Amino acid sequence: MAQITDKTREEVKEIVLDFFAEECEVELDEISEDSNIISDLDGDSLMFLELIEIFKKKYNLNIELKTIGKYAVKNPVKTIGELIDMQLLIIEHENSILEL
Amino acid sequence: MKKAFIFPAFISEIPHKELKFLDQNNVDLNTYIHKISTTLNINLPNYSYDSNEYGNNELYAQLLAYAFSCAFNEILTSKGIKPDFLAGYSMGIYASIYSAKSVSFEDGARLIYHAFKLVEDLTQTKQYGMAAIIGLSINDVHGLIIKYTPDLEIINVNNEHSLVIAGKKSEIQVLLKMAIDEGAITTAELTVNTPYHSKYLLKYAEPFSNFIDSISFNKPKIPIISTFDQRIIATIPEAKAELVHNLTRKINWNNTMHILIENNVIEMYECGAGKDLKKISRFICGDYQLKSIYT
Repeated sequence: MAQITDKTREEVKEIVLDFFAEECEVELDEISEDSNIISDLDGDSLMFLELIEIFKKKYNLNIELKTIGKYAVKNPVKTIGELIDMQLLIIEHENSILEL
Repeated sequence: MKKAFIFPAFISEIPHKELKFLDQNNVDLNTYIHKISTTLNINLPNYSYDSNEYGNNELYAQLLAYAFSCAFNEILTSKGIKPDFLAGYSMGIYASIYSAKSVSFEDGARLIYHAFKLVEDLTQTKQYGMAAIIGLSINDVHGLIIKYTPDLEIINVNNEHSLVIAGKKSEIQVLLKMAIDEGAITTAELTVNTPYHSKYLLKYAEPFSNFIDSISFNKPKIPIISTFDQRIIATIPEAKAELVHNLTRKINWNNTMHILIENNVIEMYECGAGKDLKKISRFICGDYQLKSIYT
């Protein structure tokens, strides 16, 4: 189980914000943790999947997409802040996330 | 450096930015719509920023998507952008054969209209549909189909994480629930009542082929990549056959994109309303750039 530090949270936040700014073609300062991924940013589930792949590679995570899918059904995310929190839980718990 | 125009199928959102882009380029979408109305002897409503007549009408939505794609095609070509290849996602085939100058704009509209009328009895039962499953592999979905809904079919692979299924709505709803239980990130029923590209369309192959033979075709001036078997379509018989296959057989957009990439296409233009093709290109790897032309 990985230890989540303030530095990890900042790192994850930066990656998420940069990713959505580029993919959704909006300025970085137009995105906040309160931004709704779908209605404010025109985001979609494939973006979510791509972001997961980015974090899997960066943190060498052992987690199946299907596990994340099962978790996400019970814990849906709507905002960028909620997405950052979920990514942190994925990094921290990997395949054990369903046991939370 | 090779370029390709790729044409989307349906319009999933009200296209505001696209209309603005057409205005900026002095292109009136309603000119195209009027031409379709005259050709088909129907009364398509004018399209504007607050139009909502197209949302719940499958035929209108297809014709509108065709009008947008053809209008965008004119703008791109007037800017001197010449594609080396074309490809049409599902119903996008009609705009691609128009772009290839294989058929006239009017005959493209006739083909869409006739294909729709041909399958209308199937559509009107409202028993059939299509859906997307995101986050499961082909093997996962195939396994679920065999186990729970053997009559459903995977009729298109958008990319390795995005699949389209078609068949009876009652079975689709069962499969989508099973897909979520299995760990799909999301599922969505498409707003269509026709199971395009599925076995239910096979019976229309011959009558559609007969109608196609009544239309005047030219040899495609730009090669089109088949979404059915990924062949390069360069002759009139191939173009005609592709239209029948496109309506009645499974397609594979993922493989189609890979053929474009293998043919050294590094610049692709999504030639139509929306960004659906850009979105599903997300997991199609390669050294290329896909541009939505109105942003």
